[in-house]
This record gives sequence, C-alpha cells and structure tokens, in this order.
Amino acid sequence: MTAAAPPVTRPAAPAAVRPAAVRRARLRRRAVPYLLLAPALILFGVFKAYPIISSMLLSLTAGSGSVTHSAGLSNYQRLLHDPLFWTALGNTARILVVQVPVMLALALLLAVGLNAAFVRWRTVWRLGVFMPTVTGLVATGILFSFLLNTKDGAVNNLLDSIGLPTVDWFGDGFWARMAVVLVLTWHYTGYNAVIYLAGLQGIPKELYEAAMVDGAGPVRRFRSVTLPALRPVLLFTVVLSTIGTLQLFDEPYVLTRGGPDNATLTVSMYLYDNGFRYFDFGYASAIAYALTLLVSVLGAAQMRLMGERE
Amino acid sequence: MSHLSRRDLLRASGAGLLTLTAGGALAACGGSNGSGSSGGDAATGNITVWSWTSAADALRGVVPAFEKDNPGIKVDVQDVGNPAIWDKITVGLAAGGQGLADVLHIGCDYLPGYLEKFPNGLADLSALGADAHKDKFAKGLWPVVTDKDGKARALPWEVNAQGFFYRKDMFDRAKLDPTTFETWDDVIAGADAFKAANPGVGVLGINKPGTPGPDVDFLQSLMQQQGAFYFDLKGDITLTSPECVRALTLVKRLNDAGLVIETPGSTAWRTQMKDSQLGAGPQPSWAAHYIETKFPDLSGNWRLTRPPAVTPGGKRTAIVNTTHLAVAASSPRRTAAWKFVEYALTRADSVNAMFKAGSVFPALTAAYQDPIYSEPSAYYGGQPVLKTFTDLLSEGGDATNYSGDYARALKLVSDAQTKVLVKGGDPAEALQEAAKQLAQQTGRKIK
Amino acid sequence: MTSAATSVEPVAPGPAAPPAKPAPTGPSPWRRVRGWPLTLVLAAVTGLSIAPFYWLVVSATRSDGEIFSWPPKLLPGSHLGDNIGHLQDRVGLGRVLLNSLLVSGLQTLGGLVVALLAGYAFAKFRFRGRTVLFAVLLSTLVVPDQVMLVPLFKMMMSFGMLDSYQALILPGLCVPFAIFLMRQSLSAMPDELLDAARVDGAGELRVLFGIVVPVMRPVLAALGIFLFLGSWNSFVWPLIALRSTDMHTLPVALATLQGMKANTDYGSILAGTAISTLPMMVLFLVLQRQFISGLLAGATKG
Repeated sequence: MTAAAPPVTRPAAPAAVRPAAVRRARLRRRAVPYLLLAPALILFGVFKAYPIISSMLLSLTAGSGSVTHSAGLSNYQRLLHDPLFWTALGNTARILVVQVPVMLALALLLAVGLNAAFVRWRTVWRLGVFMPTVTGLVATGILFSFLLNTKDGAVNNLLDSIGLPTVDWFGDGFWARMAVVLVLTWHYTGYNAVIYLAGLQGIPKELYEAAMVDGAGPVRRFRSVTLPALRPVLLFTVVLSTIGTLQLFDEPYVLTRGGPDNATLTVSMYLYDNGFRYFDFGYASAIAYALTLLVSVLGAAQMRLMGERE
Repeated sequence: MSHLSRRDLLRASGAGLLTLTAGGALAACGGSNGSGSSGGDAATGNITVWSWTSAADALRGVVPAFEKDNPGIKVDVQDVGNPAIWDKITVGLAAGGQGLADVLHIGCDYLPGYLEKFPNGLADLSALGADAHKDKFAKGLWPVVTDKDGKARALPWEVNAQGFFYRKDMFDRAKLDPTTFETWDDVIAGADAFKAANPGVGVLGINKPGTPGPDVDFLQSLMQQQGAFYFDLKGDITLTSPECVRALTLVKRLNDAGLVIETPGSTAWRTQMKDSQLGAGPQPSWAAHYIETKFPDLSGNWRLTRPPAVTPGGKRTAIVNTTHLAVAASSPRRTAAWKFVEYALTRADSVNAMFKAGSVFPALTAAYQDPIYSEPSAYYGGQPVLKTFTDLLSEGGDATNYSGDYARALKLVSDAQTKVLVKGGDPAEALQEAAKQLAQQTGRKIK
Repeated sequence: MTSAATSVEPVAPGPAAPPAKPAPTGPSPWRRVRGWPLTLVLAAVTGLSIAPFYWLVVSATRSDGEIFSWPPKLLPGSHLGDNIGHLQDRVGLGRVLLNSLLVSGLQTLGGLVVALLAGYAFAKFRFRGRTVLFAVLLSTLVVPDQVMLVPLFKMMMSFGMLDSYQALILPGLCVPFAIFLMRQSLSAMPDELLDAARVDGAGELRVLFGIVVPVMRPVLAALGIFLFLGSWNSFVWPLIALRSTDMHTLPVALATLQGMKANTDYGSILAGTAISTLPMMVLFLVLQRQFISGLLAGATKG
C-alpha cells in the first residue's frame, strides 16, 4: 500500500457529504492509528530504546567489567568458536523441540475441556490448572528437587511401584533435560490454557451449531471450527512459547544450574554467567544479540508458516 | 491471519534490525559515560550497608556502640539476601560504581572478580589505614583482600575453616576412631568396617552431578591442604598440578570405596543428615552451629576433629571460604564507611558480639582468646567444639589466589568432578580438559 | 449463519455440508451423563497441577526442620503462625503487600490500556510504518532482559528515579507480548461491527470502548491476569532499582530471607510464597468469570 492509507475497512462514505469534509475526516482518520500507538511508542522510546541500543553497542566491546575497549565483531567471532555456546544452543533447541509442542497440545485440549458447558465445577478445574503458574520459583525449585530425587523421590517411587525402571533425573544429561521439560510443562500449560480459553470465547456458537447441523462429530468440529478460529491465538502462543523457551533461564537455574556437565546449560544461562558471574558484559551482549537474531528469524518463520496455511 | 502477511513479516524482521542498528549511532553520541562518580571522603553522615541474613543482624548489633563512639555517623544495615546481593552489586559496579551502598558485604567467590574486573569499583582501604591491621587476621587471608598493586580493598570478616564432623555412635559401632585418622587413606582403610556396621550410610555426601550448582568445597579443601589451588599466586592455571590431580583422585577413591553417597539437589544434604544417612561431614565452621540447631534430635552423637591430611604429615588446615566488608569507591562518605568497617572487624569485642549474634566465625585471631571458643558444648558430647577451629585457624592456611576468574574455574572444576564421579572419567584427564578450557576462556597460562 | 460468524472465520471452515439433523440445543439427559468422564479427566489434571501446590501450603504450616524431613509431611502442621510471625518481623508483610499491590495494579491497568490501543491500531488500521513499528515494539520481547539491566539502571539513575514507584511501574507499561496478543485477538474480530458504528458517526474512541472492549472482555481478562502475574512475580528489576526497605515488593522482600545455606529459614520463605499466591488466585477467580462465550454473537445482533 502506498501513502498513509485509510483503515483496512474503509467505510463507504455517504455520497451526500461534501469533498472538503471528507478530506478533513480522512486526515483525522489517518492520524488515528498514530495517536493510538503514541503511548506505546513514547514508553518504548523513553525506557526501551536506550537499553537496547546501548547493550547492542556493548556487544562490540571486549574486556570485562569496567576495563573495556572497542572490539568490532570479535565477540561474535569468539561466539562461533565457543564450544559451550554451541552446547547451550543445542540443549536449548532440544528442550524447545520437545517442550513447546507437548505443552501447547496439552493446553489446547485442557482449554477445550475447561470450556465445555457440560463439565461440572468448571471454576474449580480452571483455578486448579492455573495454580502452577502462580507458584514461585524458589518453591518450585525445592519442590521438584524433592519430587525428582533419584533415590527416594515421589516420581521414582511411583515408577518403581508400577514396575518401571527409576530415572536418574539430575545425574543423567538426557533425563535432566527431561526434568526441565517436565517442570516447564507443569508451570506453563495452565498459562497457555487460559489464553486458549479466552480465545475460545470469541468463536461464535453459530459456527458449532452449523457444524452440528452438518453432522460433524466432536473431533470434526474441533478440527474444522475450533482450530481455524483459534489460529491467530495459536500463532501467538507458538511464537511466545518459542521465544520463552529459547530464553529459558529460571527453571534450569533452580533445578540444575546447567548441570550435569552442561547438559542443561541454556543460552540465557550462559549469557547470565558471562555477564553476572564473569563480568564480561561485552561477550554477554553478543550472546544476547545472537540469541535475538535467532529468535527473530524463528519467530518470523513461524508466523510465515502458520499464516500461509490458509 | 488476515492482518499479518508473510511479506510484512519478512520486512518487519529486517526493518526491526535496521532500526536498531541505525539508532545505535544516536546512542553513541548521546550515551551516558560509564565512568561514574568519583565519591568523596566525608567522615560523617549516613552510611548504608548491604549484607544478608544473618550476618546483617549481627552487624546491626554493633551499630549502637559504633554510633555512640562516632557521633555524626548513622548506620543503616540492609538485608539484601544472598544470592540477590550479587546481582545488585554487579549492576552497580557495571554502571560505573553508581548506586551502590557505602559498605558492601562480599564473599571470596566474588571479591577477587570484582577487584580484577572493576579495578576502581571498591575504595582503596590502604589509603585509609587498613594496612595497620594486616597481621591481625588468620594467615592466608590478606592476599584475598588486596588488589594486584597490593592495596587492601576489603577487610576479612567471616572465615570458614574445614572441620571433620563425624557421628561418634556410627564410628564406635565400626570400632573406628576418627581422631586417629592421619590421612584420608586411613578413612578408606576403614571403609569396609564402617559400611558393615552402618549399612546404607555414607561417610560423606557430594552432589555428584553438581545440580543445582557446584559442590566442590571438599575437593577444593583437599587442594588447599596441599597448598595448591586452581591458580598459583601469579595467576597461572595449576589444575594439572600433581596436588590437584591427587585431590580429585582422592575424591574418586573415596567414591569407589563406597563412602560417598549421592546428595542431589539443594535440599538432600539436610534431609540425609536428619535421617542419619551421613556418618560424617567435612564441613566448615558455620556447620558447628548449624548442625546443633537443625538436628536437635541427634544431640550427643556428633563430634568434631581436624580433617585428615591428604599426604602423611600433611597440613590439616583448609580455609574453604571467607567473607569481607568493602567500601564502595563511589561513596561520598568513604572515611565514615571505613570507620565503621574498622570498628566492626578489627575489634575483638565487635567480632565476638557478631559471632554470638549471628554465628559469623571471625577471621580476627585476637578474638579467639574469648572463653566462648573453649566452652564445652553439650550437643557435641561436652567437646569444646569451636576450639578445633580456632586451633586450625591459628595454624593458618596458605594464601589462596581465587583470581578474577574463580567463577569460570569453579564451573569447569565442578564439571570435571562430575565427569569423574558420574561418568567414571579419569581425574588427570578431566582436569587436563578443564585446564585447557580455562586457558582458552581466560587467556591465562597453564603451569 | 450470521455475517459475524463468517467473517470471524478467516480461513475456510472445511467443506460446507448440507443442513441436515436439527442441532441439539439445551442440556439433554445424554449430555448430563457425558459430562462426568471429562469432569473426571479434568479433576485428575487438576490433581497433578495442584499436588505440588498443596505441598507448598503444607510447608507453609511446617517448621524449617519439618520441611526437610523424610518422608515429606503430607498434612498441615502447626507452625503457620510462627512462620507468618517471623515473616512479619523480618519484612513487614503489610507494607510489602501494599507496595506489590500498588505497583502490580497500576502496571496492569496501564499495560492493558497501552496494549489495547496499540493492538487496535495494528489490527484494524493500515498505515505507513505499520510493520516497522510493530517490529520495533516486538524487539523488546526478543532481546533478553539480562543485558538491558545495566543500561536501564544507568538511565533511571540519571532520571533520578531510582527507589521510586515510577522506576518500577513505568518501564513495565509497554508490554510487547500484550500488544501482540491484543493485535492477534482483535484481528479475529469482524470489521463489520466497527464499520457499522463508524457509519453511525461514532468516534474511534467510542468505537473502541463501546464496541471493541465489550467483545474483547475474555481476552482483556486473560491479559489482565498475565500482566498482573508478570508484575507480581517481577524480581530482578525491583531488586536492582530499589534502595530502601520501605519500598520492597514481595519477591524482593522474600529474597532477603535467603542467606548462606545455614541461615535460610525456608518455613518463612514458603509461607511467604503461599501468601503471595493468594491475590493471584482471587484475581483469577474474579476475572475468569469473563470467559463467557457468545459475546460476539450478542454484539452483532445488538
């Protein structure tokens, strides 16, 4: 579209209105989106622009703490040859690939269940599913170190009692990642279910009624009515969860601190270590912007893919 | 998705990055300088102290007397919490020393890093007269608080020497007497007897996978007993030294002998102690008070002795960690702040009052004359338990050069220990690998 | 089918089938029976979800020593009063809760308005710079917070705003994910609704608050929950930005209870954590009542 254009949905102006008035109205209308955006843009300009730009510039400096000098792109070169960065990236990717789909699928099913009119005591289940989201991080850490305790944790006791082999949750790299996935899923499934629950309210009943008239069963209705109507919200959660998991920090921080032997080290933890443990803020910023680039590309790709399916 | 076309998105991601980079030029011109304020030497005024529980409570106890002796200075001790305090101090230092409290409580794991990476972040206390107190602290501590030019940037407060706590009932059952252990080999020699008499019980617990966080205090103490560490005093990497390899090999041998039980997570040690799954604990001084208060049911069963040496006739002392008080260079009232630090840490009365209030074991050796350190403790079967520590500390440790890269070294050593204990790796190889990575990350030489 | 229904549906809803059986409306006996299995499934999921939470509540009533005993205690103990008393002594619960409520409340309301306006602009208007501005706003979502801490701290310092409510509230008013969610949700809303009002001569604000907001109630409610949650649990920035104990928010205050291994009183920390979930639960219960379907259909007919 060229020049500042009128709203997407141009209301047909009544023919009787004079051209000057139309122009004035159109001008006013053109200003509207900018006025609507003004608060967000001003807040961004004042509070976010400087930190972003400043940290980006910092990624072009080397040294550590207060002893720094300009270094061009050398931090980024160092990144490419840093085995721990690649380990962290690999771990993050592995957690992402398992965790996001499982969690979102679960959240969607839960939301549909929690929305069903014929379910009893819905409010209770809704609150229950949401509860993990509000449980603080320190408590989560202690709690799961009890639950997943290798020797006599509740989860291993359960596995043992049904005849399954017990799992070395924090000693084995693979299972440590699974533990992180488990806790993440426990923590955020309810969060996403609430987003879907809100999204479900926007689907007109008429669509379901029409589908039922067509003889569609519940599965068919879910596929042909619920899913398509939720697409914008689904896209939102996919992008958000992807970003969230790529920036994963809290859960591995309290559960494993990146161990054993870096098996659960994530990019964000490595970033934190470099900045706040090793005081190498230039390198930490480079890690941050490498991650930013990755997140942006992946996010854009997801939007593209999910937008195209129509 | 009618309002977000693919083309839009591709443009969006590209344009977003462009805008950000373009904006960079602007900030380069108008950005604030990070040099920060230069502080001042006012001798009066209100000073703020950042510390954590329960040291903060102990410090608060000193304030009334200090304010009485130093009219014109008011002290506010704030409890920031640990680990929260590190983020707070680090951000302040990174912002050029702005926004920090006047007095900062800093542990040995952070202090050397702050000194090396933020050379002007903490005030030069030598200029304020700190050197007069140089010999008043347990041997081996002064190098930790001085920068590369030999200027003091903090004073030692708390010191934790390693002790060997043990369950007398369990060792009696095995007919072993830990006070006769000369080296850790004696412990290994008694392994079978101990295990037979106490099935399922470990002599020590280690968080083998290091989740969450390194558990290498024991390994570190074995190095320190031999006068070794991750770095030598020049700052070269010494992880491949015979002493360090011997230390990790010893941990492995203890593990192979079935004496080390897995203590996973941040909570298991407590549970295992409570549940009598641990027969001993190489633990630092604070544990004396901790064990007594947390496990009252086990009264009479615990005893303390000097840790066995690594090699026959070897040193028994290892100072596992210390904490310090420093003055922020940006403080406008550095003299007043120093006065408080000096008052709190160099007078036996103050440090002993703080020890009684918050069980912060003092580094000031003059304090050890106080009768509390030789009082028999009912919990420890009438043993004067603190005396073991004051004896060890009077003997003193070797200077430990934590270096500005301690955090990196700690992580790599923890990974090495995990490789050895969990994956059956070879100690020498694991340390070799750690040393190589450390050299690569820090540019330090391997000795 | 109403026009709203067709346009809410941005993608083809599968092959259109001929109208056949009458739609089952109202609860039939069969539906009543069918409710049970799903209810049981949801109960099971809820059980899994809140079992850990139950442990938190039990721990809040236990002494520090009991929390770490093995096997874990499963029934409430008698130390709730002690834990809360200790908490009160150390951090002053009332003041801290008030700070948290004030900051989170204002941040939530402000964040909702900012996101609603911006999301509406992005979803329902086409204007020059739309994609670029959207990308710029979204950039704060993808840049990790950790690297922005130091510059933000420096900036707040130079504004002289450290240790103030403004320092906590203002940087958190423009929330990119909230703008993103509003935009996504609004883009699913039929334009006909807005057009009808515009033809009637309603101003944009009237359209927004008279028509868009009522229809968006479920989304605004969800967003309100999330914004409040994010603000309520926010820890690192308040920790850095605050100087005086009087200003502490709940998470910052709870962090002060952590010391070296030896001196951390977990009974109080967990009691504090349990208390901190209460306002969230209340807010959720109040706002989830907005999750009612059919808002859209009603709006079209009216």
